Amino acid sequence: MKTTKTIFQDGTHKWVAIVRDPAKPNHLVDTNEYLVTHGGRGLLLDPGGAEIFPAVFSALATEFDPSALAGIFASHQDPDICSSLALWLEFNPQMHCHVSWLWSSFIPHFGGTAETFVQIPDEGMSISLEGLMLQAVPAHYLHSSGNFNLYDKIAKVLFSGDIGAALLPSSENGLFVEDFDRHIRHAEGFHRRWMGSNEAKRRWCERVAQMEIDMLCPQHGAIYQGADVQRFINWFDELQVGIVNA
Amino acid sequence: MTTEQVAQTGIDLLRIVRINEEIKRVVAVSFKINIMALNAIFLAKRAGTAARGFAVLSNEFRSFSEELRSSMAALTSMVYSCVNEVSMVLQEMRFTRLLQEASQLSSHASLAPMLRRRGLENVTHQENLARLRSQLRRALDDAFQMVELGGVLAKSAKIEAAYGQSFAASLSQVSGEFDHIVEEIRASLESLRRSAFFAGN
Repeated sequence: MKTTKTIFQDGTHKWVAIVRDPAKPNHLVDTNEYLVTHGGRGLLLDPGGAEIFPAVFSALATEFDPSALAGIFASHQDPDICSSLALWLEFNPQMHCHVSWLWSSFIPHFGGTAETFVQIPDEGMSISLEGLMLQAVPAHYLHSSGNFNLYDKIAKVLFSGDIGAALLPSSENGLFVEDFDRHIRHAEGFHRRWMGSNEAKRRWCERVAQMEIDMLCPQHGAIYQGADVQRFINWFDELQVGIVNA
Repeated sequence: MTTEQVAQTGIDLLRIVRINEEIKRVVAVSFKINIMALNAIFLAKRAGTAARGFAVLSNEFRSFSEELRSSMAALTSMVYSCVNEVSMVLQEMRFTRLLQEASQLSSHASLAPMLRRRGLENVTHQENLARLRSQLRRALDDAFQMVELGGVLAKSAKIEAAYGQSFAASLSQVSGEFDHIVEEIRASLESLRRSAFFAGN
């Protein structure tokens, strides 16, 4: 079963990271899921693949009533992001899935009806969770062609999807980045290969450098906090991406 | 939900796909019969009164090929329904397995009623599949009977060909081809009727 860790709390406003499952089969990539709660409702960010649903569900249920989930935010269309969609909809068929307009007719292959999907335009949009305004921030081509991060300006948390992701060895399973230089070695190959556009990367770096961010939370690997957030943005800005030696 | 049940449903899907491939083969052959019947009608006209009986049988053959095609179209539609139902059962099984795993890890109250509902839905899908399976079997039996009659037509055409005087050799060749093709279809349908899909195991 995965474990949960509350990384921000102010009254009912919480960010919960759902991470690390020692029982997960090795052939499945490890993923982080995040739950944002406010006023008794929840938004689940990148709920994960169908095969890890039992581990995510059981961890989430220790913190929050799954039937009180108001929606799902899918950063992009990959199966490790949201192939569990149909299973989550079992708990609340009225639940909405916020996703780039680009993928709104592709993701229904994982489940849901026409009413399930809220299309996010390319420029992004605000998503309200019981009055808490969350911002879908464009991150196109990083790595998906229709890709969004989610920013909470009150908590100063940016859910960055695959940006900042690191494929860590099992010996390094801390929730937060502890040694940036050592950590980033596990992120470099991933970013060079998965991020498709230097131009898109530059725009993203310029955009997020202007935001107040205490924690940058990727979908794989450890969370960047404090000064490591800016360190990561600077590192990413310098990195040449979209290259493969083949 | 056992691993054996999931494996069995996967095997069912494979079997139904094979049935579909065999039906496609029969449909292709039935087009061939239609063209052969047209040629036989023209040949009988040229042969005149000596091949009057053969001409009647050729017309019957043409009707037979059309009936065979519509019978195969109905079978194809039933096969698609079976594929759809088997796919639903496979998806249901996967989701039920994942929800069962979740219920082993969590005691959340919503899981038990959800699993009960899924169990009922699974029974409904299994019943639908059993109904479709038996409909398909009956339709195959009907098609088989029709082809047996086609065989009788082919044998009669062989006899009539012998009265074709100077056209007897050509008519005999055509009737022999009819007989060969009908036998081919009969063998295909016979193998389909014996498919383990209908035994449900």
